[in-house]
Amino acid sequence: MSLYFFYLFAGILIFASLAVVLARNPLYNVLALVVAIFSLSCLFVLLEAFFVGMVLLLVYAGAVLVFFLFVVMCLNLNTITLTSAQQSRFRLLGCTVGLMFLASFGLAFKSFIRAQTMDASNIRGTIEIIGKILFTDYLLPFELTSLLLLIAIFGIVSLAQGALSTGKNTENL
Amino acid sequence: MIHLGNYLALSGIIFSIGLVGVMTSRNVLKVLLSLELLLAASNLSFVAFSKFNGDYAGQLIVFFVILVAAAEVAIGLAIIVVMYRRLSTIQADELKEMKW
Repeated sequence: MSLYFFYLFAGILIFASLAVVLARNPLYNVLALVVAIFSLSCLFVLLEAFFVGMVLLLVYAGAVLVFFLFVVMCLNLNTITLTSAQQSRFRLLGCTVGLMFLASFGLAFKSFIRAQTMDASNIRGTIEIIGKILFTDYLLPFELTSLLLLIAIFGIVSLAQGALSTGKNTENL
Repeated sequence: MIHLGNYLALSGIIFSIGLVGVMTSRNVLKVLLSLELLLAASNLSFVAFSKFNGDYAGQLIVFFVILVAAAEVAIGLAIIVVMYRRLSTIQADELKEMKW
């Protein structure tokens, strides 16, 4: 069973990363990377690395790639004009995906109700193991990472300030 | 049963695709996206080694890689925005200011 899932997500991952490199439209590149990261986190779940898979999904697909999308739309590299037929097709697709999400939400809610009556599981989570290693052996790298993020914030702010004062064609943005 | 070799082969394939993207694309945004693919491939092999050796430090390394990648992407995208404002393009060939 897990072998089939491995091949499924491996196929999606390879296909999506080919699309990241080969697609011409930058928007499609970013969206393909979202798909690739999603299937990568599915592979992490197959490898029983639940915490890292969730962090990957939240930080990458949730924050980093939305940031990418923001920049692509901000630069406005190519404008797509939709015909009304395309628009209605996208609307149909959106409604289908939304209904699927609603159905999966209903399933999740049902399993949540069932889980409340069950006993506590004896499966050890990976969060407590990783947290234990993180705050004992790897405490110094963890603290240094916060320093790195601080320096990154300084860099971005100084870049943005320089762009504001020396930007030649700021009316484009 | 899935072996370690399957994951390592998959990781190698993704790494090669990302490397081709970094080498061939002239769009700076695409180079950054391909760099993300390289990081994702190395993350996959870290987690696979962590699972098959029973050592959770590999997953911790992935955690750090994600943090560093977030900082890298933020700086890189800020540089891209500044570049677009100054040159009105994000093709890497147009960056000629520091040419000898």
